[in-house]
Amino acid sequence: MAGKSGATPATYSPSLTTSDKKKKPPLFNEDWVRPDGRAFQQCRPAFFRTGAVNAASGSAYAEFGNTKVIVSVFGPRESKKAMMYSDIGRLNCNVSFTTFATPVRGQGSDHKEYSAMLHKALEGAIILETFPKTTVDVFALVLESSGSELPVIISCASLALADAGIMMYDLVASVSVSCFSKNLVIDPISEEENNQDGSLMITCMPSRYEITQLTVTGEWSTPKINEGMQLCLDACGKLAKIMRSCLKEAASDSQE
Amino acid sequence: MEYSSDGRIKRGNHAAKMYIIIIIKCLKTLAFTGMVGLSLGERHFIQGGIAQDLRSDGRKRLTYRPLSVETGVIPQVNGSARVRIGATDVIASVKAELGKPSLLQPDKGKVSLYMDCSSTADPAFEGRGGEELAAELSNALQNCLLGGKSGAGAGIDLSSLIVVEGKICWNLYIDGLVVSSDGNLLDALGAAIKAALSNTGIPRVQVAAGTLNDEHPEVDVCDDEFLQFDTSGVPVIVTLTKVGRHYIVDATSEEESQMSSAVSISFNRQGHICGITKRGGVGLDPSILLDMISVAKHVSEQVLNKLDSEIASAEAEEES
Amino acid sequence: MGLRNASEDLSSEMEVDAFRRLFPLRYLERHLAESIRPDGRPLVKARETSIFLGAVASANGSALVKIGSTTMLTAIKMEVMTPSLESPDEGCLAIDFHMPPICSPIVRPGRPAEASPVVSKQLSDTISSSKMIDLKELSLVSGKAAWMAYLDIYCLDADGALFDAALLSAVAALSHLQIPAVAVNDDGKIVLVSDEDGQKQAQEPVNKEKRKLTLRSIPFSLTCILHKNYILADPTAEEESIMETHVTIVLDTSGQLISLYKPGGSVLAYTSAVQDCVALTRQRVKELKSFLDKENSAMEIE
Repeated sequence: MAGKSGATPATYSPSLTTSDKKKKPPLFNEDWVRPDGRAFQQCRPAFFRTGAVNAASGSAYAEFGNTKVIVSVFGPRESKKAMMYSDIGRLNCNVSFTTFATPVRGQGSDHKEYSAMLHKALEGAIILETFPKTTVDVFALVLESSGSELPVIISCASLALADAGIMMYDLVASVSVSCFSKNLVIDPISEEENNQDGSLMITCMPSRYEITQLTVTGEWSTPKINEGMQLCLDACGKLAKIMRSCLKEAASDSQE
Repeated sequence: MEYSSDGRIKRGNHAAKMYIIIIIKCLKTLAFTGMVGLSLGERHFIQGGIAQDLRSDGRKRLTYRPLSVETGVIPQVNGSARVRIGATDVIASVKAELGKPSLLQPDKGKVSLYMDCSSTADPAFEGRGGEELAAELSNALQNCLLGGKSGAGAGIDLSSLIVVEGKICWNLYIDGLVVSSDGNLLDALGAAIKAALSNTGIPRVQVAAGTLNDEHPEVDVCDDEFLQFDTSGVPVIVTLTKVGRHYIVDATSEEESQMSSAVSISFNRQGHICGITKRGGVGLDPSILLDMISVAKHVSEQVLNKLDSEIASAEAEEES
Repeated sequence: MGLRNASEDLSSEMEVDAFRRLFPLRYLERHLAESIRPDGRPLVKARETSIFLGAVASANGSALVKIGSTTMLTAIKMEVMTPSLESPDEGCLAIDFHMPPICSPIVRPGRPAEASPVVSKQLSDTISSSKMIDLKELSLVSGKAAWMAYLDIYCLDADGALFDAALLSAVAALSHLQIPAVAVNDDGKIVLVSDEDGQKQAQEPVNKEKRKLTLRSIPFSLTCILHKNYILADPTAEEESIMETHVTIVLDTSGQLISLYKPGGSVLAYTSAVQDCVALTRQRVKELKSFLDKENSAMEIE
């Protein structure tokens, strides 16, 4: 039983040869249907639950279709020894994937880009002044990924921060849209993300109506950006309602 | 007894020494990080100047610093350029190598971007500080230049890099180096990459007859015939930095230290947005953001014209 | 709680929680004297255990196991490899135990937890020596192709007895494993045979019969803590951090001893104590087996 995968010969996962060619979806058709049958502007059903990890100060689990994420929050706790004195708190974010998160087995390593993006999305919402000299660690693990991981991680992380009792100006909700020539498709799955012409991701604080992060790729005209932003902001508002009701539920449960 | 007390004294001295070293280290870092280096008066001066549309170097809010372009600065690569905006100085180089296209996109070449923030540019770039900034810049540039997953809206036409579909393609390695940093690195790197790409000549490749259908077709690379790269689609990046209630273009590092947030937007010739990234944690109202986009669009036209003429004159100079 | 009666020392003036943090050992020993644990369990009782099969949709076999708060998620992905020359008709099973930073405050990103390679090794040793699966069943074409089963265990919440939970989730995932039907294509590569175009008989599956592994004997384990004369079954993380002598016993379903770990510790165990642990494990194995059987039969009905 070889535990060392380094010593074993290279492996591959068997693929479907027959249906590979015909699978290219005719994405630009007017009557194109999304692979999971949703309407263009319909999000996947969102599920949130706080208190997923007992060992953490706060945690949350989020499930959007088959994208499943756990976020744990630790601290505020002592900053690393090498860190200098700081009169505001520090935020430390890390995102990693399980080896079985993607259809093809991955390395399960840290995702630096997502970690940096998560940090940027959250730092504006957290009142860092409330925990000087200390660090709050936000760690995310993507259990399964099937598209729009980063928005799910961000929303889930803000819920975990709320669960940990970290002071925030507002919850942070995040939604992305994919652009296919003329069509805007909200909350894309991996298959759509891999064929998209462009993407727009908005992270916002819905009650304050402020955008904390915005990422756009691909070619967009100004009216299109307007449309995409409005779509995302509306969806963020709805998402925040779901998140808030999840928090309320958890609070009323603990009171009983 | 004596021995033990001796030891204690020694240890005490050592601890004191360590303490002093730590203090010195702290002071050093304080002095080097620009943000802390500014006094309250200086900060007010910068902020007040921006509010009155007269910045500390005499510019208006939406005026760029003088921009100069020099092409062909590195002889051993396929294309290179050096861009200076004020005291910010960056170099970009493009190297093309033959490789195999990925299985998912057999009809496209590959482009990889790598940025490096030299610690000679700014002491803050030493160690991880520089790495993080470099990664952030690489990601932002990737967003702005390479378009969507399907390839739509890409500044660089990846399908022009293909030699034999599914078998051979050009891989472009775009490297950026920050030589000296005085703010607005992203715009400068974007301009340098655009200039380097228009300076790039890709050798003409001929596939040896009869081997076209082989797994590894044989190719001949001509050394004297070059294909010019079409860079008309490469966008420019305009970063708007928000200081107080106003936003400015082309911020110096002193001004950047006072920013609440910054939005980098890239535009192509058609005036289409090719990518947006936001820096800084402070949130923005959506209406302000849309306002910034329209201002940036206006500015980008001027920058594109200026950059194009600078590139043309730099190329002319290099040839003569 | 027993603390209320204590009048002679600090504890009467101290809040329970503060006492627990300041004098963890005394706090625990007070409980032990009353034959109860801080979480209200009797000494030899394991925590509530649940098994959920098929938790990861994209994997070939998966299981989510909870023992108290300790949560393990296991997924098996099957890939194809060329078998080694020494064993041309055997597949391979690679077991990896991960402790991501989300699971415990001790684990920091970039630095793997100390416990994870230890548990990894223990798990692969246990599963290989238990002869639970026959690697020959993972063979596809002798000398040409065989399955490489990647079994990855993720600890989602670490609250003690990690090995027990990890082993349970590993065997549960193995019992849930569905091997995909595959065929050999013209290039000698292994390809999936989809269920939809079953009428296409051009590609005959090479592993028609071998879609599920036969598990010959399933190993189950129980970790006990030895402290003075007490034996505490299935410790929590708090108990593990206070008392460091633990014994892990792995038995198979027929009651045979597969392995016994007692990695040092300050308490030297009498054989009678070890025998007590074995007896506890025997009971626990029965309990766990019935849990797993129940889950598996529920899966079959679906």
